[in-house]
Amino acid sequence: MSPDPRPHHLPTRTRREFVRDACCGFGGLALASLLHEEHLRAAPGPLSVKSTHLPAKAKSVIFLFMAGGPSHIETFDPKPLLNKLNGQVRPAEFGEAKYQFIQRDARLLGTQRTFRKYGESGIEVSDLFPNIGSCIDDIAVLRSCHGDMVVHSAAQYELFSGRTVPGFPSMGSWMLYGLGAESQSLPAYVVMPDPKGALEAGQPMYMNGFLPAIYQPTMFRPGRRPVLNLDLPAHVDSGQRRRTLQFIRDLNEATLDPADAEFHARINAYDVAFRMQSEAPAVLDLSHEPQETLDLYGVGQEPTHDYGRRCLLARKLVENGVRFVCVVSGGGPGNMQWDAHGDIEENHLRKASETDQPVAGLLKDLKRRGLLDSTLVVWGGEFGRSPEAESGKGRDHHNLGFSMWMAGGGVRGGQVVGATDAIGLRAIDRPYHFRDIHATILHQLGLDQHQLTYPHLGRDERLTFVEGNVIREIV
Amino acid sequence: MNRAFEFHVTLRRPFALRIIATVLTVLLSNSIVRSAEPEDIRFFREKIEPVLKSECYGCHSRTNKVQGGLLLDSRSGMLRGGESGPAVKPGKVAESLLIQALRHEGGLAMPPKKAKVAESTVADFVQWIEQGAAAPGSEAVAESDPSGVKAARGHWAFQPLQPVVPPAVHESSWPDSPVDAFVLARLEQESLQHAAPASRHEWIRRVTFDLTGLPPEPDEIDDFVRDESPDACERLVDRLLGSWQYGERWAQHWLDVVRFAETEGYEYDRTVPDAWRYRDYVISSLNRDKPFDRFITEQLAGDELEPDNTECLTATIFHRLGPVRRNAGNPEIALSRNEVLTERTDILGAALLGLTVGCARCHNHKLEPITQKDYYQLQAYLAAMDEHNILLADAAAQQEWEAETRRLKDQMAALQKRARLLTGEERIRLTEMIEQLEDQLPAPLATIPGTHNDFSKRTPIHVLRRGVWDNKGELVGPRPPSVLVPDDYSELPPETSAPRSQLAAWLVRPDQALPLRVYVNRLWQNHFGLGLVKTANDFGLKGDRPRHPELLEWLTASFLRNGMQSKPLHRAIVLSSTYRQSNRPTDARANRVDPENRLLSHFSRRRLSADELRDAMLAVAGRLNRQDGGRSVIIPVDQELVQLLYKPSQWQVTPDVRQHDRRSIYLMAKRNLRLPFMENLDAPTLQSSCARRDTSTHAPQALELLNGSVSNGLARSFSDRLQLEAGQDLERVVNMAFLRALGRPATTIERQKSLEFLRDEPPTEFALALFNLNEFLYVP
Repeated sequence: MSPDPRPHHLPTRTRREFVRDACCGFGGLALASLLHEEHLRAAPGPLSVKSTHLPAKAKSVIFLFMAGGPSHIETFDPKPLLNKLNGQVRPAEFGEAKYQFIQRDARLLGTQRTFRKYGESGIEVSDLFPNIGSCIDDIAVLRSCHGDMVVHSAAQYELFSGRTVPGFPSMGSWMLYGLGAESQSLPAYVVMPDPKGALEAGQPMYMNGFLPAIYQPTMFRPGRRPVLNLDLPAHVDSGQRRRTLQFIRDLNEATLDPADAEFHARINAYDVAFRMQSEAPAVLDLSHEPQETLDLYGVGQEPTHDYGRRCLLARKLVENGVRFVCVVSGGGPGNMQWDAHGDIEENHLRKASETDQPVAGLLKDLKRRGLLDSTLVVWGGEFGRSPEAESGKGRDHHNLGFSMWMAGGGVRGGQVVGATDAIGLRAIDRPYHFRDIHATILHQLGLDQHQLTYPHLGRDERLTFVEGNVIREIV
Repeated sequence: MNRAFEFHVTLRRPFALRIIATVLTVLLSNSIVRSAEPEDIRFFREKIEPVLKSECYGCHSRTNKVQGGLLLDSRSGMLRGGESGPAVKPGKVAESLLIQALRHEGGLAMPPKKAKVAESTVADFVQWIEQGAAAPGSEAVAESDPSGVKAARGHWAFQPLQPVVPPAVHESSWPDSPVDAFVLARLEQESLQHAAPASRHEWIRRVTFDLTGLPPEPDEIDDFVRDESPDACERLVDRLLGSWQYGERWAQHWLDVVRFAETEGYEYDRTVPDAWRYRDYVISSLNRDKPFDRFITEQLAGDELEPDNTECLTATIFHRLGPVRRNAGNPEIALSRNEVLTERTDILGAALLGLTVGCARCHNHKLEPITQKDYYQLQAYLAAMDEHNILLADAAAQQEWEAETRRLKDQMAALQKRARLLTGEERIRLTEMIEQLEDQLPAPLATIPGTHNDFSKRTPIHVLRRGVWDNKGELVGPRPPSVLVPDDYSELPPETSAPRSQLAAWLVRPDQALPLRVYVNRLWQNHFGLGLVKTANDFGLKGDRPRHPELLEWLTASFLRNGMQSKPLHRAIVLSSTYRQSNRPTDARANRVDPENRLLSHFSRRRLSADELRDAMLAVAGRLNRQDGGRSVIIPVDQELVQLLYKPSQWQVTPDVRQHDRRSIYLMAKRNLRLPFMENLDAPTLQSSCARRDTSTHAPQALELLNGSVSNGLARSFSDRLQLEAGQDLERVVNMAFLRALGRPATTIERQKSLEFLRDEPPTEFALALFNLNEFLYVP
């Protein structure tokens, strides 16, 4: 790819830019003390903090990705009529829908969940999410989301990159490209997959696509040492590594031309790497968290331990300047995700019990630390689920109308935006597409979807593809 | 008044003359209708245009010259701008480089070597830009040539090859090859000094990496450095070009362009059976220096031309290389077909034509002269093409395979039937059993995953409104993009037989300059790191303009003269004085006036690509397995990464560990699992065409090389090798290490530092340090 002339990604050519480039691989401002360079903070580089197009409300995003497609009908979008029509064929007035598996003659399926009003706003939330319900006044529920694809992989690509094909940058990479990184010793864009397994769209869903490799995500692994290569190989200790690094530096400097910016940058990349290696583990370590905090997230109890741990880690990451954290719920075979083809009750009761307390804990923890104002929390999956039954008790994928929500980051909570029809089939009032969600996320970060572009195969590409609408009601 | 303001079509071809005549007529008739010109256009005519003519057109117009890629003779040219960016941004004076240039601000000063234009003139320009930078032309054009196709036929890249002769130069002793005359003439014009020659050590390292992707062995270096015969360089180059490794190295460049991968991506990420045969086909074709026309024709239409020729059939795997979305359930067959055709059409544009045709799928291209109809006409060549897996196994093997497959599939079907009636845990258990059976299915038989035509299933190709598959417009037949053919070039009937042969025949005609230029430019890029046209996949109006247009013409003509074979061109390039230059500029101004070194005042040092770096470490560590060809190798990776695959069982590590040390081109190219080492070192995403690899420098890269399993494992082997070769004699260890890793002896200070380190520290850390040196990572 040729160097791009626009301000978001300056060609790495001058010495300073090389230095910046090298220092900021994992994100963050340059380490002036290590670099013996003044005014580095002002020098532009691909990961230096960039000025926003608009006044920014949020600095970070936490995306709570409910993979597999949670049902809107069982969660945030009560449909009494659906219960009345239980077992019947969909009345013609609701129109047509295409599903991945279920056939035209499928019967509507009522829900067994009950809804009640929460908070001052009195928004209805199902009994799957009593804890999230208790935070509802901070939440803007979007009941009219829709996407273009009814199968996992393509819908997941669209959710992350705005395009139904792989190879386009994810929103996390776009955000990093647009804003630069704040953290000095942590990766700026982190994905925490569900340890139970992978998703249909695979790793390309989270990737930087055609954006430079510097904007790639860091995939956290399960366990105590989540970042690949941050831990030392067996039989090498930190002292040894420091001496080896010094030796590398000595040899490099022995033949170094003082004016050689690129080689200086490489040398400095090693300094930063070492610093990350020394400092990041403290942030990633949860063993010093107070019991009260662990309890808030449900860490140490089942079934909330795993998701709670990752939500708590997400909070620590944004607290330390990480830009985008994706916390995935669901992985592996369909039923280990929210992909409830066989039995919506069994699946959703299980998945909700794993996530309800951790998600609410995250919102409360962010709020009491004053971080919710600058952290946009987004909840949702790649689609919702069908009003019709699949195999008797399950629901198929459904992209024509479903719910997502946003909280914090300048979003006005305690309101419901948009609506589906009376059986939850189709978004009919103020429908919002993934591109509108993307445009809104960018907007809260102070980024203008039209200005955040990158040339690729002859087009100035952007996250929102043909153009999204900022959801004005909530910003 | 310059009525043809928008048009300065090169007057070489008769049909161009016709176009001008037509356009003039239209413009004139328009001016009659519009008796009074709008105020803003009159302002342009009176205040702006005369200044542009007298001060700017000399260097920035189609009739004179095009310096810096900037054309100021049309509004669109000004908006598009040149290498520094748009010259004019309507309404935005501060962002308009033209104003900066007139004011001599921001490092720009125009007109060059002349006094600044008057303040009042600058004020006129400011006013003109503030009011929207109106200029005549575009509206009238829109009426006669809505997509800009006719006007764009004058674009440099669409012209026939221009005869050029190497220019005369002052320093006539420098050029060793006609290539040098072009480069030197330009340097002399810019008063830039070329660099001194590289040392013989540097040169052999450079040329060996360049032509084979591997470092030279110490004894090869020694032989070469001592060889004083005048043809030492020629003999070395001939040996390298004749080595099998040449094909392995240069095939990777082509594989990047055609986004070669062996799996389909998306959720199943299914392995295309034996897709590696395409990789071997490319390697072998390049090693035999198969002429370009043959190479391309085989890939586009091998099955049509020689349906019984295994090599031709293998070449057609080309059409199978893109990502393919497969789904269970109720798939929309026509949509899936449309996705496949889209993928296969877009790659033709990027890889062969150097045109971003993909943008025209949904609407006429906004920036390029490609209409939506052009796009679907190009797609129509592929309308009858289908996947065709050709089994290579004999009948007995096939029978055995089918029996085993049937047995397992029957079992799976039975389980599926039961699973449908179940829910919850029971259903999960059965699903898992089905998946286990699926993993036991016998490995596919030797297959060529090729293509063929099935006219009974031919997809009627319509212009699709907004690119939506079921929003069908006009029905079209095959035809090349309009901008590349005359208006009266007829469309083939949709059901034409052997359509892809006809596409290939049109594409590789010797007088079809564009694909040749695109290919030759790639060749140059892979020697120098940057093409003569920087945007190697984009030769359109929006693409970069060649910095050395005559050189590109000469190289292309020379390629043609040599029967479209590459090796003579490689030879001419690597034996040139230009290529032999040191990477240290002699001229202190070089980095400032030409930061990208497009004028080639010195050699541009380049970082090893991900594959090259791994191969070099393998070679230096003494572990490189030089076996060529065959099934791709799956090497062990972090278990956590395998778990990120939707089907982790797809990552079946090759049992024979010696295979793990094969060259990187033989490693499995799996779309949904890229090796962290490759990812961190800028290997392509495998999802879309990669015209040129990035070179990034960042901390995760340093962490990968310091702590990663690839570098640490190979450092251990390198250290073992040094012990074996040099024993306990640390002096010898150090000498050997530098010779092997850097191709030169250690300097005094390096030797001293190394000995100090080795006295206290483990030799594996010493070996690892050498792999982490700047000099190891870069080709000099």
